[in-house]
Amino acid sequence: MEQNNSLTPFPQGLASPPGAMTPVMPIFSPTMRYNTGLTPQPVQNTNTTPQLYHSQVSTTTALPGNTPVHTTPLTPMTPITPATPASESSGILPQLQNIVSTVNLGCKLDLKTIALRARNAEYNPKRFAAVIMRIREPRTTALIFSSGKMVCTGAKSEVQSRLAARKYARVVQKLGFPAKFLDFKIQNMVGSCDVKFPIRLEGLVLTHQQFSSYEPELFPGLIYRMIKPRIVLLIFVSGKVVLTGAKVRAEIYEAFENIYPILKGFRKTT
Amino acid sequence: MPSSCPECGSSNVVEDDLYSQRQWVCVDCGSVVSEGHLTTTVSDETQGRAVPYHASTEVLKKPCRNLIAGFSRVRALCQILGGCCVLSVCRQCNWPVAMGTIGYLLGVDNATLGTVYREFTKALNIEISTIGIMDMLESFCYDFKLGPQQVEEVFAEPPQRLVDRTSALIELAADAWIVTGRQPLPLLFAAVYLAWQSLNPTVRMKYTFVKFCKIGKAPEQSWHRSRDSVVKRLKELRDVLCKLGRELPWLRGGTVEPNTVVPLVDDILKNHRALLLRAVRNYEQQLQNESQTAQTTECDNELSDSNRSESHSSTTPELMDPDQAGCENPADKQATDCQLPPDHWSKRHLFLPPCVKNRKRQRVDAPQLEVTGDEEISDSEIESYIRSQDEIEMYLKVQKELKKMA
Repeated sequence: MEQNNSLTPFPQGLASPPGAMTPVMPIFSPTMRYNTGLTPQPVQNTNTTPQLYHSQVSTTTALPGNTPVHTTPLTPMTPITPATPASESSGILPQLQNIVSTVNLGCKLDLKTIALRARNAEYNPKRFAAVIMRIREPRTTALIFSSGKMVCTGAKSEVQSRLAARKYARVVQKLGFPAKFLDFKIQNMVGSCDVKFPIRLEGLVLTHQQFSSYEPELFPGLIYRMIKPRIVLLIFVSGKVVLTGAKVRAEIYEAFENIYPILKGFRKTT
Repeated sequence: MPSSCPECGSSNVVEDDLYSQRQWVCVDCGSVVSEGHLTTTVSDETQGRAVPYHASTEVLKKPCRNLIAGFSRVRALCQILGGCCVLSVCRQCNWPVAMGTIGYLLGVDNATLGTVYREFTKALNIEISTIGIMDMLESFCYDFKLGPQQVEEVFAEPPQRLVDRTSALIELAADAWIVTGRQPLPLLFAAVYLAWQSLNPTVRMKYTFVKFCKIGKAPEQSWHRSRDSVVKRLKELRDVLCKLGRELPWLRGGTVEPNTVVPLVDDILKNHRALLLRAVRNYEQQLQNESQTAQTTECDNELSDSNRSESHSSTTPELMDPDQAGCENPADKQATDCQLPPDHWSKRHLFLPPCVKNRKRQRVDAPQLEVTGDEEISDSEIESYIRSQDEIEMYLKVQKELKKMA
């Protein structure tokens, strides 16, 4: 059936949309509103964006009390095209749903003691060799291993993940271990969004078969493995897209901006 | 070493280890000529090893339970691997076989088969090509035994006719977003059943899906597990046919119900493009009308608000919310199940994937925390996660009691 453009106008008045199959250059402009209204607005000069696109900041700050100052300079990650906003921006912002990070507490831990003396811990050595600890805010879960390494999951942003990891480290400290906060690193970020139109997955798998895997008998969504950036996208017929495998927020945004014009090509309304 | 047996004088004496005790035994008469120490020295005992289970004689008499379980798991895995090989070769030779078919033949569910298949293709570096539902259609239809020699006259259907009718139905279903993202086999079953019914509706309408499978001698394991899905697909297919059937001009706007739509399938399929166009246009027209009426009532309300003293508001009792009306139009029959927000984009489309229209649970995004990651962490908050001494003692006491009871 013919595509009926009058039905769903884009929020930003676009010029003619690009051709269905032409991949758009990674449009990544600092003037786009990449925020939840809370983080500071991005400015043109990348060096002064403190929070928004910070890459792996490894710190070895001591824990108790003092708020550490960011002495390590932020390493710039993906080059940002300055000034002109791309005319084909989608106007949709993927929301981060989950951040997985790791940190090294720097000392051996006795998991039995932790499980006994902490309220929010569970430890079942026969099932899994780590203590599972949870805190209320930010609502996260941590896996604490006897080697002193810890995995923190469930946060909705990088800074929340860092704060949560620090809180877990503080709990371990209060339980009597000389915990530090070494090599904090974000390992994985998951985002999701809705393009608000149904997608013909059968068509997409035919034209992009070197990247896509669509097996309706196994999973209802199409698994798209993007090469640049290296992100895996789960694309569903309802128009919902899940993006995962990112180490920095920018990769998720870039991946979505890459896939959006491709998806628009498979948008068909009857 | 003794060379001859004192009993019978034979020189055929062999060494035999029985229960780790060396003995010299005469082969001819069986008497024990001499034997070593039954007990070992202390140093022997500390250095020696116990006979492991698998080398003892017990393992043959009564195999360990874990061994039996392990063997059966390996056997099942080998069967599944064989199935994956067949599946992979068929795909590569462009011979479409559904995973569900292999699954029911092996007696294994799709999920297990899928996991093994994915690992298998990754390990052997095979490129999987997707097969479409249309590819599976022909062999699927030919599987049903509905030839004139196999069943009664009224049930018989030459396979090619069945294939044609089913493929038209599936094309229609694909246009209406019923196919994408769904398991193909239940849909194929539903489509074949409706196709068979529609080719002779007067006689075949009264036969249920299960009856049809029995007539066509479809093996029960192939459809039994997915019976619920088939029923759901049937409902969806019939709804789509109703939406189109309503547009048939010679019905003059008469009602078209899901359980009586099958006789109309022939006409619907013949004119499906035109009917689709009409249905979508009428739906859009309806939406436009509703938004216009809503606008006019809103204008009236605004006027009445400004002339509040004249109590004009009583003249427009129902504010026609266009979105509410959109929810109640015949396209969305389940108004009560409609949990979508009022201005959801799906309201503008007549045909949509059912997962969009039937959203059961409202997704609630938690409010974002305003943090920098480096702020002070209050001691009291951390204390709240640590047990007091009393709690620890109580916990240990309960643990001891439980252990005593066990």
